[in-house]
Amino acid sequence: MQTPKEIGAIQFGLMDPETYRDMSATKIITADTYDDDGYPIDMGLMDPRLGVIDPGLECRTCGSHSGSCNGHFGHIELAAPVIHVGFTKLIRRLLRSTCRECGRLSLTAEEQDEFRDGLQRNEELGEDWTDVLKSAVRQARKADRCPHCGAPQHDIKHEKPTTYYEVQDVLAGDYSERIAEAMQPDDEGDGGVSPAELAEDSGLDVSRVNDILSGEFRPVGEDRKKIEKSLDVDLTEEDMNKLMPSDIRDWFEDIPDEDIETLGVDPSRSRPEWMILTVLPVPPVTARPSITLDNGQRSEDDLTHKLVDIIRINQRFMENREAGAPQLIIEDLWELLQYHVTTFVDNEISGTPPARHRSGRPLKTLSQRLKGKEGRFRGSLSGKRVNFSARTVISPDPTLSLNEVGVPERVAREMTQTMNVSERNLEQAKQYVRNGPEGHPGANYVKRPDGRRLKVTEKNCEELAEKVDAGWEVNRHLIDGDIVIFNRQPSLHRMSIMAHEVVVMPYKTFRLNTVVCPPYNADFDGDEMNMHALQTEESRAEARVLMRVQEQLLSPRFGENIIGAIQDHISGTYLLTNGNPQFSETQALDLLRATSIDTLPEPVGEDETGEPYWTGRQLFSELLPDDLNLEFTSSAGDEVLIEDGRLVSGTIDEDAVGAFGGEVVDTLAKVHSKTRARVFVNEVASLAMRAIMHFGFSIGIDDESIPDEATAQVDEAIGNAYDRVNELIEIYDAGELESLPGRTVDETLEMKIMQQLGKARDSAGEIAEDHFSDDNPAVVMARSGARGSMLNLTQMAGCVGQQAVRGERINRGYEGRTLSHYQKDDLSADAHGFVENSYRSGLNPREFFFHAMGGREGLVDTAVRTSKSGYLQRRLINALSELEAQYDGTVRDTSGTVVQFEFGEDGTSPVKVSSSEENPIDVENVADRILDAEFESEEEKELFLGRQERPTNISEYAGPGLDKAQSLEVESDD
Amino acid sequence: MVDVSQHELVPEHTLIDEDEVESMLTQYDVKRADLPKIKRKDPALPDDAAVGDVVKIVRDSRTTDKAVSYRLVIE
Ligand SMILES: [Mg+2]
Ligand SMILES: [Zn+2]
Ligand SMILES: [Zn+2]
Repeated sequence: MQTPKEIGAIQFGLMDPETYRDMSATKIITADTYDDDGYPIDMGLMDPRLGVIDPGLECRTCGSHSGSCNGHFGHIELAAPVIHVGFTKLIRRLLRSTCRECGRLSLTAEEQDEFRDGLQRNEELGEDWTDVLKSAVRQARKADRCPHCGAPQHDIKHEKPTTYYEVQDVLAGDYSERIAEAMQPDDEGDGGVSPAELAEDSGLDVSRVNDILSGEFRPVGEDRKKIEKSLDVDLTEEDMNKLMPSDIRDWFEDIPDEDIETLGVDPSRSRPEWMILTVLPVPPVTARPSITLDNGQRSEDDLTHKLVDIIRINQRFMENREAGAPQLIIEDLWELLQYHVTTFVDNEISGTPPARHRSGRPLKTLSQRLKGKEGRFRGSLSGKRVNFSARTVISPDPTLSLNEVGVPERVAREMTQTMNVSERNLEQAKQYVRNGPEGHPGANYVKRPDGRRLKVTEKNCEELAEKVDAGWEVNRHLIDGDIVIFNRQPSLHRMSIMAHEVVVMPYKTFRLNTVVCPPYNADFDGDEMNMHALQTEESRAEARVLMRVQEQLLSPRFGENIIGAIQDHISGTYLLTNGNPQFSETQALDLLRATSIDTLPEPVGEDETGEPYWTGRQLFSELLPDDLNLEFTSSAGDEVLIEDGRLVSGTIDEDAVGAFGGEVVDTLAKVHSKTRARVFVNEVASLAMRAIMHFGFSIGIDDESIPDEATAQVDEAIGNAYDRVNELIEIYDAGELESLPGRTVDETLEMKIMQQLGKARDSAGEIAEDHFSDDNPAVVMARSGARGSMLNLTQMAGCVGQQAVRGERINRGYEGRTLSHYQKDDLSADAHGFVENSYRSGLNPREFFFHAMGGREGLVDTAVRTSKSGYLQRRLINALSELEAQYDGTVRDTSGTVVQFEFGEDGTSPVKVSSSEENPIDVENVADRILDAEFESEEEKELFLGRQERPTNISEYAGPGLDKAQSLEVESDD
Repeated sequence: MVDVSQHELVPEHTLIDEDEVESMLTQYDVKRADLPKIKRKDPALPDDAAVGDVVKIVRDSRTTDKAVSYRLVIE
């Protein structure tokens, strides 16, 4: 692939209006687009010098045709300057911190130096320099006189979005009345002030005071202050003087270069007056193409609509001004022009009504093209639509390896891989082309050595196949063994995107082995997944080595395996190993037939009839490597002992082979190899499926029923709890309930009732549990960790128990009661959501209602949690995305700033750490064991250590032939 | 007044001399300004820390006994 241009640097700044004019292909003076014949009007918005969109036409500026011409900017000369909305904050900041008379920054030389140093220091330290700017502006705003020319400074009021006022205190119109009132005697014994007294007190002439009182003289400046002081009155009112954009432009022109530097603006490429537009650049037509509708009418882009508005108002403004229209009309037109230019830049400004299309839809102008999820940055640059990708529904296929994915033939025919034809693959390449685009495996395109690409069709495929020769490229269909990337949204962790090997299959769904459901968090209730076919040799190599499912067995989140047996696999191994059942030869062979084991071990013994038998644990042991030694306690309390690859005792359940930290899988992945662990997981899944089919496993409503005497016991337990609750209520009503420390009496009662009812549910559960046999399928699933818990079971058989909203008994609904069926202030169990029935016996209507209340809370919680955590995740990822662990062990951001001196403070990868405390991985021991097993003599070992490179097994299709069973012999190869 | 720097949860902050700073900077191939920062007024700092100094922070770690990091003292 070629890079047409390389970006060396990007510079942001303001653009000089002269530059706008220089780069402009034409001045735009008319709002019309096309004439009656459909040709673009010269100096109109569709002027052919702005670029071409219609194929066949030639650009009048650069001479190239549509496609190769990027378009050229034009410009509009604005009749009056207007403010650019993107800079309103900076304009306000400059107005507030500079002198209205001389334009200098209202800071003394020392202050300026200090802030400039601060700015530089923060930049060097890589800290936020806007803090310094803000404090500089704050400091400059404080000055009420310019330190350079002494002119008084007024406050600036900003009315959003683009109006600025200068606020100053001026003498109120009714000043004489205010003075006279203050001189009047009042009720509080104040004798009043005579004009002579006032004159003496304020130091003014008596005649002057009389003139002021008669309204003949306006006391301004010092005089006003003197009178205000002696009479203690306020003679001023606020005067708002609107600053027109032209005033602001003149003001900014006076700001010297040195001063804006202190405010964080680089004077060498930006001048503040350029924030007030006098020329408006007109985007090229290629950026706002018009669309021809079905009925032949042209539909213009939103930007073009907006530009039409701007030009119309601009013209009216000029005409009115030339005709000498009154100031009021001119100002209205000016404001209108400002509105149109503002909405051209951003149509979602608060306080400004958005400009709308005739249909009422708000226009999508410049900012709207960039902002937000669908905007240019998030929608077109960070994320794009890609070729060679496919999406369809997923379904399970236990016969696939966990590394594989079943790809529908239709998808395989669409996704291609580039084959570089050489003498060695010439015949294959020809065959692909011969098969054509419809056959599988065929080819869709070929590329000749001269670079010309030809489409392979049903008609020309035979002919093309003959021409294909070394040096050609053939885009062949996906075939078994190709590597592809597979993904399920939301991609929350690394294992949401993994590489799989293709197995082309009939029908229309992607097929995957059920053991990869946990990392993708996938199920088959209609989930869809995406597949991407890789297009370069490097990407295919990387995907194979780093991204293949077997490389992702261990989760970096908790450092243990995330892939392992699930659900029925676990029930299967549990049935196979619990109680160590015996199997005849036929049965044993049947159990192992889906695995790579093709010879049975020596039978354990003979049964009464003299037939040899094998045990479940023995068959399971066949899947283990010979040098595996493990001892652990499963969460069911069962001691599991594995010696030299033989399961001596214990039941294999979730803690042994399950996803999320099954001991055996975890140890194999860490101590042996990823490949061995992959083989093991595949085989355990197959064996377990055979085992569960051998025993038969189903669950029905009768599996949750308990005998009548047990039901009676449950009823009694619940009845007793009701009695105790009523007792508590009686004590409470008598006012004799003692409160627990830190609780009110009411809270104490609630707690005690909850406690009693909780106990009732538990004892009901225990009674029910006692009546279930060990081979009850629900019990098997709960014990083995395959699915469900004993609590689920007791709720089905015994009693559902207390329903809660916000951790309390249900208290909402009517005043003083939960439903209109109950007495007010009834504190009893059933009035507050205790469900005494079981799911099997069925809930009565009131219980059902309370149950729905509790259930609703759970649903709302999950809905809120997912949206909250999704946003949190996005922010976290954006904040951390550029951090990288370096080769020297440090973690740094892109600018080289150190974030951690040692990755995670310990320089350790969580997946390389042993999961058991007592059993840290002894690298040398592991290496020795492997080497000893591999080589008979010491010399051979030395030879190996000295020269040979490590063997790799990067595909299930690599190695001796395509026979997967053979490659299973490979043990420690990574 | 409580001396925060003596609290058991506050790791040890020690000023390091120029030689050690130089060798650390060469070891990690960083400029002084690229180090993590700490405010001069941070109560965990020794009293004589001045702007521009570098402190060495030794934290207790669950996985390694001690985890070392460095910070540049800023205003
Ligand atoms: Mg689903
Ligand atoms: Zn052009
Ligand atoms: Zn001034």
